[in-house]
Amino acid sequence: MGIWILIPVFLPVIAGVLFLLPVKQEDIGDGSKESLTRLHTVTAVVLIVSAVLALLAAWTGDNTYTWFELMEGIPIYFQVDDVSRLFVTVFSIAWVLVCFYAFTYMEHEGKERRFFGFYLIVYGVLVALCFSGNLVTMYLFYELMTLTSMPMVLHSGTRESIMAALKYLFYSMCGAYLGLFAIFFLYKYCDSITFTAGGTLNLALAQGHTGILLAAVMAALIGFGAKAGMFPLHAWLPTAHPVAPAPASAVLSGIIAKAGVLSIVRVVFYIVGADFIRGTWVQTAWMTLSLLTVFMGSMLAFREKVVKKRLAYSTVSQVSYILFGLSVLSPTGMEGALLHVVFHAFIKCALFLTAGIFIYRAGLSEVDQLEGIGKKMPKTLWCFTFASLALVGIPPASGFISKWYLAQGALEANVGVFGWAGPAVLLLSALLTAGYLLSIVTNGFFPKVKSNAHTAIAAEKNSLLENSAGGTQTETSSCQVSDPLAGVTEAPLGMLIPLAIFAALSILLGVFPNPLIQFVSKIATAVM
Amino acid sequence: MEFVQNFPFLTIILALFSGPLCSVLKSKAAKWVNTIVIALILVMSVAVLLFTLQTGEAYVYRMGHFSAPWGNEIRVGVLEAFMAVFFCVVMLLCMLGGRQELAEEVEETKQNLYYVMIGLLLSSLLALIYTNDLFTAYVFVEINTISACGLIMIRQNGRAIEAATRYMIMSLLGSGLLLMGICYLYDLTGHLLMSNIKEQVAVLAETGEYHIPLLISITLMSVGLAIKSALFPFHSWVPDAYGYSTLSSSAILSSLVSKGYIFLVVKIFYRVIGFDVIRESKVINVLFVFGVMGMIFGSLSAIRESNIRRMIAWSSVAQIGYIYMGFGLGTTAGIIASLFHILSHAATKSMLFVSASGLMDVSNHDTDFFALTGSGYRNKAAGVAFTAGSLSMVGIPLFSGFISKVLFASAAYDTSGKLIPAMIALALSTLLNAIYFMKTVIRIYTPAHRANIETDSRVITVKEQPQKAVVLALFVVLNLILGLFSEPIVNMLTQGLEMFG
Amino acid sequence: MNFANLLDNYEEAVAMILFVIGFSNLLLQPNLIKKIIGMNIMDTAIYLFLALKGYIEGHKAPIVTDGVQSVDAYINPIPSGLVLTGIVVSVSVSALMLSLTIRLYRRYHTLNLDEISTQIKKEGM
Repeated sequence: MGIWILIPVFLPVIAGVLFLLPVKQEDIGDGSKESLTRLHTVTAVVLIVSAVLALLAAWTGDNTYTWFELMEGIPIYFQVDDVSRLFVTVFSIAWVLVCFYAFTYMEHEGKERRFFGFYLIVYGVLVALCFSGNLVTMYLFYELMTLTSMPMVLHSGTRESIMAALKYLFYSMCGAYLGLFAIFFLYKYCDSITFTAGGTLNLALAQGHTGILLAAVMAALIGFGAKAGMFPLHAWLPTAHPVAPAPASAVLSGIIAKAGVLSIVRVVFYIVGADFIRGTWVQTAWMTLSLLTVFMGSMLAFREKVVKKRLAYSTVSQVSYILFGLSVLSPTGMEGALLHVVFHAFIKCALFLTAGIFIYRAGLSEVDQLEGIGKKMPKTLWCFTFASLALVGIPPASGFISKWYLAQGALEANVGVFGWAGPAVLLLSALLTAGYLLSIVTNGFFPKVKSNAHTAIAAEKNSLLENSAGGTQTETSSCQVSDPLAGVTEAPLGMLIPLAIFAALSILLGVFPNPLIQFVSKIATAVM
Repeated sequence: MEFVQNFPFLTIILALFSGPLCSVLKSKAAKWVNTIVIALILVMSVAVLLFTLQTGEAYVYRMGHFSAPWGNEIRVGVLEAFMAVFFCVVMLLCMLGGRQELAEEVEETKQNLYYVMIGLLLSSLLALIYTNDLFTAYVFVEINTISACGLIMIRQNGRAIEAATRYMIMSLLGSGLLLMGICYLYDLTGHLLMSNIKEQVAVLAETGEYHIPLLISITLMSVGLAIKSALFPFHSWVPDAYGYSTLSSSAILSSLVSKGYIFLVVKIFYRVIGFDVIRESKVINVLFVFGVMGMIFGSLSAIRESNIRRMIAWSSVAQIGYIYMGFGLGTTAGIIASLFHILSHAATKSMLFVSASGLMDVSNHDTDFFALTGSGYRNKAAGVAFTAGSLSMVGIPLFSGFISKVLFASAAYDTSGKLIPAMIALALSTLLNAIYFMKTVIRIYTPAHRANIETDSRVITVKEQPQKAVVLALFVVLNLILGLFSEPIVNMLTQGLEMFG
Repeated sequence: MNFANLLDNYEEAVAMILFVIGFSNLLLQPNLIKKIIGMNIMDTAIYLFLALKGYIEGHKAPIVTDGVQSVDAYINPIPSGLVLTGIVVSVSVSALMLSLTIRLYRRYHTLNLDEISTQIKKEGM
């Protein structure tokens, strides 16, 4: 196939650039109804065609293609292996579904042209990232991914969104440069920078430089961990998500965070080799950091009141499950991690899409406001419920399987105290997950005060405010609060269908997990 | 001797005489003479480059009737010819890109004088590149300074004249030190031709005689040229000089004038003193320290700056720091990285200046950061070019800046003890670059009506300013060429450096 | 270091002292005219140094007047040539500096560079 690999990369990128070219400051895409329909059609066709081509390129044999030499001995090189297949499939499915959801949702945000332009470009870059065959190619597309996904955060153009985009950019760039310096070091001590299962580190060369190499690996972990939301570079997630449009949040959390995982998998298992860091301080530090993030993310999510922020913290926590699974360096752990990549991508997309529907239909962004929402949009909330159950890990939903493997992997691997501490933290975090997600569900279906729940809460809030301020304000304001849910109806089909598919996937993959488990165990055994 | 071999000499003379010719012509005629002369010199330099690539060795061209060691000569190899080609390209683009500003900001009667200065500047740059005689180099350094000063002060406002004065004062300090260093070296070796000096220096280094005077001489020359090329902490004149002169002056000053001096530093290291002797002396460590400090402090100052042109000027201070850090590594790989960065910076910085001015055109000619809100939509060509330049400066792959960063990093490996500081400096300065360049890029693409900022509503389309759009496109292409096809260029630099010494 | 050496080469020592005087004047004086004078002192010091290097005790300037062509009769001509070139350069640079000074003086009525800077900042452009 060779050069055909480039088509799913370039088709969306070129289409996206064409979308962006005639953008004017005043009307960034707000056009007539027909032009909007045309825009949607073109986007859908381009995206589906490139997704199909990407999947074809991925599943029809081990394609490799050297594009050109960036520098001497450093080619831009693409290669398809099982990891690419797994990630590109997940990314493509989620990307297409979210795109259909976005057609409806973005009416509410405006500037569709720009949004879908960048949306297409990022897809092309992501496919290229999945297909990257060596470190430098991966770094190249990793950086491009950061840059091209930033405008999606920036979408609304308000001051907060600019600050959030800058924060996103700096965290990602900080991370990417840590990764880049690791790449510099690894380049010197590796036989090749082409990804090879089991690693290419030249142990003879590395002799005597172990200390600095381990430091480099740690830098790469922290660096690429920034995208995956690992402590200490996790803080961009809760800032970027609330300001981004819901589809953008969904893919940022569900997909782009996974690109960080992909990069870590590539560096650790395909360049350095698991054996090199097994039992070293790097592994200990990695496990500690990921467990810390798992716990911290859940705690913060539990305390958070804004739905999208809560979900963002949940991503911080859940992606670190994946990183923990990788960090124990056992085949089972890795299987669990890769399974969780797939499940979490679909689940988190479903959750964010629901949050988006709440905003789109009712303008509600806080958890407290969602009281009683289940009466108004039962289908939406049911989807949310299924996804939540899956994320908590209640059998037979998908999250249970991945978490089972993760815990199993930690117990199997010879990692001392982490062998039991890991599963314990995971369990604790699952409980917290149940706490912060299912509380939305119960409140949504069974509001505390049956009639006019909101007025009561608002009144309570107001009185609290007044008490704390010691103010003398009258209570008239609270009486004027009417039911914010009045007139709220079920989500439109265009949004509901993608959401339902995601929710169904997150349950069904748990019911029929066998093909997937076999596939990830093939990957895991190849690299260990 | 082939006819092509006369070309280096002819290009210098041609540029030199285009100056006086322009002084008697009308502005419009002078403009065309100047453009044609630069283009012609470009073509001739390409011919020289092809010739040297073909023969694969450097040749010496005798000036006048005396042969070495008395006469004056020119020495041409791949590196020199390549630099000449590149400088001509950048200069041509800068001139074309700044034409409109020149017409607006400079009085009609004085415009031809501007072309006089450009002619002088080009000839001195070419002479600095080609000459094999140290004293000739000094003379052309001075000519370079004078013409650069002319470029700054052509815009007749108080700020520009003050900037020119400050520039002159710092430059004179630098040339005083340089001349003193050259006199010392002449005293020690008895020669002025670079190759002869090198032989004598090698003898001195072997016997260990006159160790301290030699060290003093190296220091004086390095510091002198460092002052002239605005290495930290001698950079105080940079923001004013680049910030308040007319557009093509800023672009040329930042991308070419300082690079001429830096090329002379390379020449002194390789051809005059010999790189081994330089490495033995501790001068390069000093350059390394100042280079690293320049990288950091230049960027920090740029972050604090709200005037966009001064911000780009501060970024130049940081980039000059990179180049000197590469020298300071003390390896050939480091020098090659620095040479590549000269190219990369020249291509990027001039593009940034030209595109920033395009953005200012649609923002009431206001240089303030906030006035630029949304200007990327109003002048698309400039917006795209500014974004490309910023990405290159930050070091995103595909652009030239990434390649030079990789080259610096891999050069730092082969050094003992400089690896960690170099890496940290690279990482820090990259992040700082990202802060101020990305901040600006986001600002120019923030719709003004959403940020509630009153801005100019003028819109410049590509059709209105086709020339500028073409120039910017060429700059972007130049950057991408450097970023994507660096291998042949790096090979050429390596080959050139081998035949350079 | 030997003090006698310094005395033997007192000309060079004087040249160096002059160079430092000129250099610091150019760097530190706020008055533009004094700066230019400093620059000229600095350049002159360098020419003195160069001329010394070419001078040979008892030999004449290298101008053939009475038919003597022996090398032993004359001093080294190259440094003299360099000094001449250098003087040309420094004259043109001085002229440029003076013209800049005149411009600034006409505009700001002072020769003090610091004051000029303050005034420009006040203009606020």
